[in-house]
Amino acid sequence: QQSFSWKMTNAYGPGSPFYVEGPGSPTDFCKKVAALSDGRLTIQHFAAGELIPALEGFDAVQNGIVEMNAANAYFWAGKIPAAQYFTTVPFGMDVKGTNAWLYNGGGIELWHELYEPLGMIAFPMGNTGVQMTGWFRKEIKSVEDFNGLKMRIPGLAGKVYAKLGVNVQLLPGGEIFPALERGVIDAAEFVGPFQDRRLGLQKAAKYYYTTGWHEPNNVTELLINKAAWDSLPADLQEIVKIAAMACNVESNSWCDATNAEAMTDLVDNFGVVAQPLPDEVVEALRPITAETLEEGAAADPTTRKVHDAYMAFKKQYGDWADDSAEPLLPLLYKS
Amino acid sequence: MLDRLLRLANGADRFVRLVGEIMAWTGLAMVLVIAFNVCARYLFSFGAVALQETEWHLMAVGALFGMSYGLNRGEEVRVDVLYGNFSARTKRIVNAVGAFLLALSALAIAYLALRFVSQSYALGEGSADPGGLPARWALKAAIPIAFALLALQALVAFLRDLAVLLRGEDAMAAPVPSES
Amino acid sequence: MDMPFNEILALAMIGAFFLLLLVGLPVPICLAVTGFVFGYIGFGDMLFGLLPARIFGVVTNYTLLALPLFIFMGIMLERSKMAEDLLDVIGLAMGRLRGGMALAIVLVGVLMGAASGVVGATVVTVGLIALNPLIRRGYDKGVAAGVICASGTLGQIIPPSLVLILLADIMGESVGTLFAAALIPGLMLAGLFVAYILILGFVLPDKVPPIPLEERQAVSGRDLFIRVLKVVVPPLALIFLVLGSIIGGIAAPTEAAAMGAFGSILLALVSGRLSLKVMTEVVRGAFVTSAMVFFILIFAQVFSLAFRGLGGERLVQDAFAFVPGGIDGQLLFLMLLLFVLGFFLEWIEISYIALPLFLPVLHQSGVDLAWVAILVAVNLQTSFLTPPFGWALFFLKGVAPPELKTSDIYRGVIPFIVLQLFGLVLVYLFPSMALWLPDAIGW
Ligand code: NA
Ligand code: NA
Repeated sequence: QQSFSWKMTNAYGPGSPFYVEGPGSPTDFCKKVAALSDGRLTIQHFAAGELIPALEGFDAVQNGIVEMNAANAYFWAGKIPAAQYFTTVPFGMDVKGTNAWLYNGGGIELWHELYEPLGMIAFPMGNTGVQMTGWFRKEIKSVEDFNGLKMRIPGLAGKVYAKLGVNVQLLPGGEIFPALERGVIDAAEFVGPFQDRRLGLQKAAKYYYTTGWHEPNNVTELLINKAAWDSLPADLQEIVKIAAMACNVESNSWCDATNAEAMTDLVDNFGVVAQPLPDEVVEALRPITAETLEEGAAADPTTRKVHDAYMAFKKQYGDWADDSAEPLLPLLYKS
Repeated sequence: MLDRLLRLANGADRFVRLVGEIMAWTGLAMVLVIAFNVCARYLFSFGAVALQETEWHLMAVGALFGMSYGLNRGEEVRVDVLYGNFSARTKRIVNAVGAFLLALSALAIAYLALRFVSQSYALGEGSADPGGLPARWALKAAIPIAFALLALQALVAFLRDLAVLLRGEDAMAAPVPSES
Repeated sequence: MDMPFNEILALAMIGAFFLLLLVGLPVPICLAVTGFVFGYIGFGDMLFGLLPARIFGVVTNYTLLALPLFIFMGIMLERSKMAEDLLDVIGLAMGRLRGGMALAIVLVGVLMGAASGVVGATVVTVGLIALNPLIRRGYDKGVAAGVICASGTLGQIIPPSLVLILLADIMGESVGTLFAAALIPGLMLAGLFVAYILILGFVLPDKVPPIPLEERQAVSGRDLFIRVLKVVVPPLALIFLVLGSIIGGIAAPTEAAAMGAFGSILLALVSGRLSLKVMTEVVRGAFVTSAMVFFILIFAQVFSLAFRGLGGERLVQDAFAFVPGGIDGQLLFLMLLLFVLGFFLEWIEISYIALPLFLPVLHQSGVDLAWVAILVAVNLQTSFLTPPFGWALFFLKGVAPPELKTSDIYRGVIPFIVLQLFGLVLVYLFPSMALWLPDAIGW
């Protein structure tokens, strides 16, 4: 039987929990594939900077120099604006809804349609779950508090905040702590309790806003060179799909478990004030987000197509979530 | 033949220097842009994503085009533990070989970068951040151009070393006739 | 043990690199040629398609912005003669104390280090402003080069620092904790340098002479005081501008470098030393000097890519398999390994290759990773100074006059390498040097 020796690059640095190491992570995916295929498909993993810089995996996979890359599709927004929808959508769907769309609502097929002209395909391989609004040096009481606020926030959410008068800053990860601690910036968005604690952000700002409006979930993308994929026999293809699916579940459950522990620790031991954004703020953000997404869809036919498909599924799923999860959650977790 | 090449080399040398002298101002531009971004943020809470991206765009262009200008100005870093004791002729040989190898390496990188640029161009790549600078492919195009320029300057150095090796140390001191 | 062909190639590549370096080919050419040739033999042309992406990553790396910015500031200070006046006056003010100007350089290294974390930036800047004045004042060339390289690399350990940011990421510590943990060891190293210079002044007074007596006597105490005010205040104001904008929450660390460069323009303007001619000179000088550093960083990508492609990291893994158990043995091996890798790889590559190997062991042993990170940082800083392939040495060579030989630099840094290793042992024996401050301030 033919065996395959592949390479996978990653947009995140060596050792990062979830993004590189740990249950359901990309390195775990490589191990799972090797075990399931009895060594017929081995994948050598390279963290960001080892073979190529963080955001260069797209080109490398397209060229077929590496067969796989782990990242988030929204990193490619400068190349393919519609890719944004396969990571997260502000005021979009949570993990459950996103998985329902991807696996059973035509999402993955749409994703493949987007990448196939470029000689690639993609699968979901992980999810951070809901992310946090971020760390603020001062309490947010109303929409006016956002006017002139200096905030580190990349991507689409930054554009939404900018419309509220936020001064959007794009500092790299390493400078977030010193800048926030000294007040160069007033607020910073990063990931969630476990990853944020790792960066030490609780020592730089006390107010931790928890409304994940901007990233209600965050999908890890497994990008695969199409020619390499086609060269795999059907059983190995199935193994890759199943391993990615297993990682999607396991990484997300790992995040939920570790975030729960970290949040308790942050509140109990570091005096962090964790609270949702005021309703008034959320209600101000919602129409601006819709307007911003609409602008993107209007500018690009492909984005329009993905946007409409996503929103159509979301509407139906949302009604079901309203009927099912909405009444149940408070019964389960409010004691 | 060699005279003709040397005259071409002189022209190429002047061209590389001119490009470098223009590109050098990216350094001052970078200082002013960052200082502006800092002051505007602190004093007026003003900030623009495009202006922040301009900071490292300027660095990238400066770093890439600086190489050929540095070579043009004779800025090379080498270990001279043995080299320092070589005869003038041996030094010339080392320099000629080095310049030739540099030209080859630079050409190889310029060639490899063509696909890097065309991939980006095909997608009309811009910033991944809304409000960022468009035409990321144009920035990437600085790589093949800068390395081609570097190869050119390395060939100039190679030709001049070769001329000295063939004709003796005073070959370069004598002016190269400007008309054939 | 059988060694795969590619690992033998990786070793041969390192050997060939040293050989070409020794023959006197410029550093970037040695890096590119060995990388291309041995990479091609080992894995063909496939992986080289990744080279443009790596190069793009270097030239667009935000944290490297500090490099051209500080160099700009350094050249402005040099061309407008502010730096030279400053060192002269410090020499005069130090009176008959031998090594006075060298002490000033350690101080400048600490202050600049507190403003930047990119090794090339500080070494080149201090080299630009201090090398010529020291040699002109009769300092031994080796001592001058050693002081400048060692003081310039202090920027890597004194926060903020690029190395610490990367280590925080790899080791899963918060950046703030590592910044706090590094401060005391960094100052301790500076203290060791100061002690060494003072001792040198007693043992070998000719190597670090004070300003000649006649020249000192020609200046009255009152004159000197006025000159100190006139000359010392502007550059100090500049340093306070840089540090103050960080501490005052005006600028992030990288941006602060731009505040320094901008301040140097204002200073030259106010002191009437700025003209279009001076500005053009500064712009071109800063361009050439930054290019020298980027030239090496960019061409190092060929070598690193080939090293990776040949599976060079497996050499390290193989060696790791032979280490006897026990955390002390592991740590000692880690330190040794980093030191040896520092001979031919740049620090980012080293951190990525060596550290992940040790992380599982370190996690299991329960040692404080912040402490290990500081040990690693001091060790890496030493590797910047280690001949033949210490980045600091190349960068200084790049701004030095031709009469400063590589051998002078090698000779000059050796005592400082010994001091660094002594400092490393101290941090190893007394972990609280690193761990006390983060605890005390709650970072
Ligand atoms: Na996030
Ligand atoms: Na520093």
